[in-house]
Amino acid sequence: MADPIIHIEKVYKYFGRVQALRGVSLDIAHGEVVVIVGPSGSGKSTLLRCINRLETYEKGSITVDGIPLDGNRNINAVRREVGMVFQSFNLFSHLTVMDNLMLAQRVVRNRSKEEARQTAIGLLNKVGIPDKADNKPAQLSGGQQQRVAIARALAMNPEVMLFDEPTSALDPEMIKEVLEVMLALAREGMTMVVVSHEMGFTRAAAKRVIFMDEGQILEEAPPDILFNSPKHERTKQFLSKILSH
Amino acid sequence: MGRFMSAPDKPTLPEEELDHIPGSEPSTRMDAWWWLVALVVGFIALLLIFKPDPFWNILQFVQDGIVITVTVTLISFVLMLGIGMIGGLGRLSTNRVIYTISTLYVELVRGIPLLVQLIAWYFAVPVIIQYMGKATGSPALEGFQADPIVLAVIGLVFCYGAYMSEIYRAGIQSIPKGQMEAARSLGMTYFQAMRHVVLPQAFRVILPPIGNEFIALLKDSSLVSVVAVADLTRRGREYSSMHFNPIEVWLLVALLYLVMTLFSARVVNWIEKKTRFER
Ligand SMILES: Nc1ncnc2c1ncn2[C@@H]1O[C@H](COP(=O)(O)OP(=O)(O)OP(=O)(O)O)[C@@H](O)[C@H]1O
Ligand SMILES: [Mg+2]
Repeated sequence: MADPIIHIEKVYKYFGRVQALRGVSLDIAHGEVVVIVGPSGSGKSTLLRCINRLETYEKGSITVDGIPLDGNRNINAVRREVGMVFQSFNLFSHLTVMDNLMLAQRVVRNRSKEEARQTAIGLLNKVGIPDKADNKPAQLSGGQQQRVAIARALAMNPEVMLFDEPTSALDPEMIKEVLEVMLALAREGMTMVVVSHEMGFTRAAAKRVIFMDEGQILEEAPPDILFNSPKHERTKQFLSKILSH
Repeated sequence: MGRFMSAPDKPTLPEEELDHIPGSEPSTRMDAWWWLVALVVGFIALLLIFKPDPFWNILQFVQDGIVITVTVTLISFVLMLGIGMIGGLGRLSTNRVIYTISTLYVELVRGIPLLVQLIAWYFAVPVIIQYMGKATGSPALEGFQADPIVLAVIGLVFCYGAYMSEIYRAGIQSIPKGQMEAARSLGMTYFQAMRHVVLPQAFRVILPPIGNEFIALLKDSSLVSVVAVADLTRRGREYSSMHFNPIEVWLLVALLYLVMTLFSARVVNWIEKKTRFER
């Protein structure tokens, strides 16, 4: 791949005796949307968290936008380029929606109050909840909270967005509103790495699906090919489980 | 004498009401327990009016002691909020050295009675500094003298800081990990995330135990009377040994402490309700 934005090479990660990642290599191109699927405990979250160094890894290397993730000094530089959206939203519960969106802009990007506010207003419009700016997170529905979380990450103008099961804590009727925001983002050309078992979104947005099992990438292919004719027996077993739902 | 008598205990955190339920906000009007404060104040007023001798005389005599007690308590409290934060962060540090130092501090200090610590600060520490002065030939250290109030405040802060550290630690740990992770993933440094995200939330959780510490400190400040600080307790003892009327003196002194602690408890309660309301 020519000049990937994320370059992961033979990464190994242990939690004590547990081998969470066993030699994962992966390149992701600018503007590409990659969806990662796999059984519980296969290392999907760990891989995502390694990309912005929420986890350290023992062996291998990761480079994001030309910045190698090694010394402590580079970590904050990389995190500024990489937005992350969590399954449990993790909005700052003591702050209003507006302050959630403004805080990191102010302290990390050193933006003026006015600039941060304008960015926040623009993004709240974009994710479809302009009227909730003064509410606390607890007063929002799950779907609204997750859209605020996406807006909060976007406020930092990241080059890459990571999503770790962004809809699996949501009621079915709220999943759609979050996926629509993500789909719009994908269409705008955002580079996205998404852990999700949402088939509809994957088919519509992803160029590649990656199947992980026991800390390794077992196979990768465009969604239609991977979903319809998986090569490995493990992939077939896994897909038959999630497709039956 | 809260801390002096009790064995080291774990700080207790309140049952948190995480969800804001509209309509269930606690009322912001004064709570009924203010009447208890008023009752004690009224009782003291009656004593002063109907038996000015000896009560008015005692009050005149001990009033500078009240000022000392309040001053020592307030200064110590502010300082121990800072020490406790440092200690609490140290107890959560992944740096082995910092973690070990702060853990040793917390475990050792909590195992020694406050009275013993105060006496050690008053009698032993100046002597140690004087010895060091002799050893190094420094006349400034050799003639070291310290104000008893300063040593008493240091002693109180050193001891209470250890308990405060554990309160901070428990408070910070009660904030979900995802808050720190979200802040870090936005590019904040550890300290930025602590300052803007974790500590503001932890502070609301630890407010009630901190309020309890303040009241315990107010009471335990009476121990400084043993180390040459002329606080309310010491002034009461002085008066009673001059006039041989222990019943009246200690009745009034006890009532004065009671007014201060009951009043503080109400203020703590009010702040607690206010912050919960703003959640
Ligand atoms: N903080 C941790 N401490 C110890 N072990 C961990 C930790 N985080 C993950 N693991 C282990 O690492 C392995 C990979 O976990 P990971 O969370 O990456 O899986 P996952 O594919 O995201 O699973 P899920 O679909 O359940 O989220 C698992 O065996 C898990 O138990
Ligand atoms: Mg996971």
